[in-house]
Amino acid sequence: MAEYQIRRCDRHLTGGIHPETHKQLSTAEPCEFVDTPTRLLFPIHFSGGGPGKALVGVGDPVAKGTPIIRCQSGIVHVASRAGTVLDVTDHAMTHPSPEQSACIVIEPNASDLQDYLSPMNWPFDAKALRERAIEAGILGLGGAGFPSFKKWSNRTQTLIINAAECEPYLTADDTLIRIDTHSMIRGACLLSRTLDIQTIVIGIEDNKPEALQAIEGALKESRSDCFFDIVLLDTKYPSGSARQLVWLTLGIEVPTGSRSVEAGVIVHNPGTLAALSRAIDGKPITDRIVTLTGESLTRPKNVIAPIGTPISHLIEATDTNPQSLHSVIVGGPMMGYRITDFSAGITKTTNCLLAREVEIQPESPCIRCGACATVCPVRLQPQQMVAALKGEALSRAIHEGLGDCIECAACNAVCPSNIPLAEWFRRGRFEMKENAREHQQASIARERFEARNTRLERLAKEQEAKRAARKAKSADALNKARKAREEIS
Amino acid sequence: MMHRPAYPPRETRLVMRSVLIALLPGIVAMSIVFGAGVLLNLATAIVTALLSEALCLKLRHRSIQPRLSDWSVVLTGVLVALSLPQAAPWWLTIAATASAVILGKHLYGGLGQNPVNPAMLGYALMLISAPVAMTTLWVDPLNPPDFAAAWMAFIGHHSDAYTGATTLELYQSDFRALTALEAKQYPLFAKAQLGFIYGYEWVALAYLIGGLWLIHQRVISWQTPVGLLATLLVISAFFSVDPDTATPVWVHLIAGAGIFAAFFILTDPVSGATSPKGRLWFAIGVGVLTYTIRTYGQYPDAIAFSVLMMNFAAPMIDHYTRPRIMGREASIKGPGGQS
Repeated sequence: MAEYQIRRCDRHLTGGIHPETHKQLSTAEPCEFVDTPTRLLFPIHFSGGGPGKALVGVGDPVAKGTPIIRCQSGIVHVASRAGTVLDVTDHAMTHPSPEQSACIVIEPNASDLQDYLSPMNWPFDAKALRERAIEAGILGLGGAGFPSFKKWSNRTQTLIINAAECEPYLTADDTLIRIDTHSMIRGACLLSRTLDIQTIVIGIEDNKPEALQAIEGALKESRSDCFFDIVLLDTKYPSGSARQLVWLTLGIEVPTGSRSVEAGVIVHNPGTLAALSRAIDGKPITDRIVTLTGESLTRPKNVIAPIGTPISHLIEATDTNPQSLHSVIVGGPMMGYRITDFSAGITKTTNCLLAREVEIQPESPCIRCGACATVCPVRLQPQQMVAALKGEALSRAIHEGLGDCIECAACNAVCPSNIPLAEWFRRGRFEMKENAREHQQASIARERFEARNTRLERLAKEQEAKRAARKAKSADALNKARKAREEIS
Repeated sequence: MMHRPAYPPRETRLVMRSVLIALLPGIVAMSIVFGAGVLLNLATAIVTALLSEALCLKLRHRSIQPRLSDWSVVLTGVLVALSLPQAAPWWLTIAATASAVILGKHLYGGLGQNPVNPAMLGYALMLISAPVAMTTLWVDPLNPPDFAAAWMAFIGHHSDAYTGATTLELYQSDFRALTALEAKQYPLFAKAQLGFIYGYEWVALAYLIGGLWLIHQRVISWQTPVGLLATLLVISAFFSVDPDTATPVWVHLIAGAGIFAAFFILTDPVSGATSPKGRLWFAIGVGVLTYTIRTYGQYPDAIAFSVLMMNFAAPMIDHYTRPRIMGREASIKGPGGQS
């Protein structure tokens, strides 16, 4: 039995909101597998892990687990079912941008052909585990899609399992913890052993008693020598945001501009750890749990779906006609984005499809009531930031703390003027990052230019020196000859 | 125990409506104490406010319906009406309200754009341009006019029988030579039912109740009223060590617009400071200025000028009172960025 303790969190989130959770909507039905769809779609540049390169061509046969995309970060994405590559073409994606981008289209067949990696045998080191995470395509399954291996530093003291799932409607993590507890615990333990982490913290909101029970059961059976610190959080949005969770569970404020890794903490989604556990056994990520929910769906539930499954296929899995819906929200109601083309395939970060009718209230002018500031978990003044952004004063918005915004959209939920504050901040932050990237490229170019100048100068000097030396040498020889002539005469 | 909502109202319309509801006790108290003139002012101001708003929106090619129905301009009108002398003639109310809405609000871009408090701008403009009407038409609560008299005053024929100067003015001029005990004999104080100032005390209490309800409903934050009232209390207590020469503390708190302004005027979110700490400093600033102008200035009451001055200081207060952002060592101070 692994040692563990359950404690109530003694810290309280600054700001935050208590939205209706609507979680029971999708937990009433058991989690099911969906049938293999007729098409699977894999965006080459937007599957997570950065822009990628296709490893297969049209007509190539693939097995379940065959690498099909390698990203800039190294991350490999595999075919989630056996079949044939039908096409590599521009297609709609599950992505905030409505534009199309290159996708690999696979037509699955009935075969069970598998192309897995070889199982890893303990003991292995962090390097081998990183290698495995790259080949198995492990990235943050909570929604951010950050390549997991990049978080694994040897200076880490604590691993936090982010089981808060504070976003309304979402129950994918809750479901995973309930049905795949052992994999999650095993993944966490093996990662901790390789990185020499002593404590594993599980941050979980107190509205998931079944998941908590499952964790306790699994820990009682586990033979791990890690210490598990289970922290029960108040059900308040956004306690599951990484920075907020680190502070709630450990009391560490991750400094502005750095990641939690730099503070000695790794935060992982339960699904990521379960996937890691399976990757160690040789199985790359081919499926994920997706919450299909919302009042517009006939039979909301959680499903285990192959990566690349078209959204329309998943909507049909809930006995709902996709044509009856105008749009679905990918992710939750707070941080999700809306898409209208249901032919797009889900990616590794698609944790929820939410279909509901929302009456859009007309926006009215900001009266600076400050309701947004009272709910901001980072203690920003959103009313000031949005005024700056609306006045196209990006630098003033940044000065007010735009860079610290976690885009949780709690401000949207309380604004009496129905101002889409979070959308303004998302856009502003995007622009901010673009500017920073351009600035960086400019400074790289400048450095190159300066380096070239110094090199040319140095070469010129060297040539000058050589010429001088040659001149001196010939003068010397001339002198010698003259002297010799004089001596003879 | 009343249920306290977790958040402020979710619509601008509801925010404004809550403030109007909170003003009701004060309106009722004022109508009883000062007579029907209060209601005549209110009706005139509301109609003027709506008409001015509609006119401005039409001139600015904006849709009229949403702004007229969100109660914001009605609130401006009500606040102007409640600030004016109770025996004010119709033209004074119309001029004050129209300037509040047109000059105070729409000149700068309408709802949410006004740099200063529109109601106080209207009031201050009238105080400067019609000083006699603004200082002599206050109703004496011991002798309020009946409806006919109030109507006569409304159409411009007021009678000196029921009007006079305000309590603060009495202390500024008439009571100079009196000792504190002699001043206490003045009927306004001698007849007081709660022990403060006859009539005024009920009005102050009614505004206080409405204001506390607004805090309870999270429409306003406690920092603003506490900042103003505590500052007035501390400063006036400090300077009234000699009761014979200074205006007493309770007169400062109850006689003028003190409580009304603390809960309903300074709390205008658009023109005030925005962070909790900023709101406290804003209110303290208004308190200091109010005491100073009341004591050393020419005007009997000073809330309007103090609010207007602090409105201009609000952006600066905002720059220096940002809360510390999570993950940062200290809060960001001062202005920044090119705007």
